[in-house]
Amino acid sequence: MQQGRASVVRFKRELRKQLRKRAHDQDVNFLNITAMLDMMTIILVFLLKSMSSSSASLPQSGDLTMPKSVLTTEASQEGVPVLISKSHIVVDDNIVAPVPRDATQGIEGKYKRSGAADLYVVPLANALKGWRERDRQVRLATGKDPNTSEAVIIADASTPYRLLVEVLFTLGQSEFSKFHLMVLQSPTK
Amino acid sequence: MVEDRLSAAQRNKIRRLSAPRELSPDEEGGELNIVPFLDIVTNVLMFVLATVSVTFTATIDSFPPRAPTGVRAATAPTLGLTVLIVPDGFGVKARGGNVAPGCSGVGPGISVPRKGDGYDYPALRECVTQLKASSPDFSTEQSVTISANPQIPYQVVVSTMDAVRNNPRGEPLFPDVSFGVAR
Repeated sequence: MQQGRASVVRFKRELRKQLRKRAHDQDVNFLNITAMLDMMTIILVFLLKSMSSSSASLPQSGDLTMPKSVLTTEASQEGVPVLISKSHIVVDDNIVAPVPRDATQGIEGKYKRSGAADLYVVPLANALKGWRERDRQVRLATGKDPNTSEAVIIADASTPYRLLVEVLFTLGQSEFSKFHLMVLQSPTK
Repeated sequence: MVEDRLSAAQRNKIRRLSAPRELSPDEEGGELNIVPFLDIVTNVLMFVLATVSVTFTATIDSFPPRAPTGVRAATAPTLGLTVLIVPDGFGVKARGGNVAPGCSGVGPGISVPRKGDGYDYPALRECVTQLKASSPDFSTEQSVTISANPQIPYQVVVSTMDAVRNNPRGEPLFPDVSFGVAR
């Protein structure tokens, strides 16, 4: 044996010791962030869900600004959404009739059943017909009263009363018997 | 027995053999590095929270407008409250008659006139509270018909509904709203 050189047994023992030590060190060389990622995903999903059920999803713009009310009850989402903006009447995301610049006399006479004095808006009634039929089938299947439907009215704060009444009257004629007038909660108004 | 010492060459060999093996590019792909993704998600989350203005909505339940029929109301003593919104204020009708200005007795005129630039909602609430309290027969009545001139804005209609819904103590006055159509 050469001077200063250890035996093969000692050499192998030292090698095993070093291998064990290095293998142990590798276990802690990264951070396990899976739990944090799970938590963040849950928070993100919760936020998106809660925001989608609030009015944050409603189109608030210069064309549609909802009125304020002191009411603080939960908003009902049941029914066909009918939007009355400054420029259009929209049913279920489809534009059904334009709103004239001066809407104090309601929708233009050509869109009504028998002229300007009538309250029945024909394109609106036609748009509601399909929705009403679908809702009737759903109500029959779920054991609810199929004779009437509900509507959620989202109207601009400056909508003249005449235009509002024309929309509500047409809804009533189309077998919608209950309206949920959507407003912004403003307890300090 | 004296333990034999490792030579420099042996120590070198041990160091070389026990060094962690460099992973090939194929082996490194075993775990996805999601830290940059996490950074982006956190930034997006902060941005969304900072920019979205959360607003809360409520819904007021109401029923279809009724065109005037000319038929007299039932003979049972009911208040049959109607609030007519006109540009000059509120006209209040109860028991088939027009409530006089100042909400006292029956007579022609605007029951609750405008106050300054706006409508006098506290006075309207006071008036309907007074009307409801005028007879025990009206204590269970909760329906009101609201009508307005064609040009009255929706916000005024909503504020009128708010005014007649509860009295100042929070007790219900006329929460069931129907809309009327002016003849």
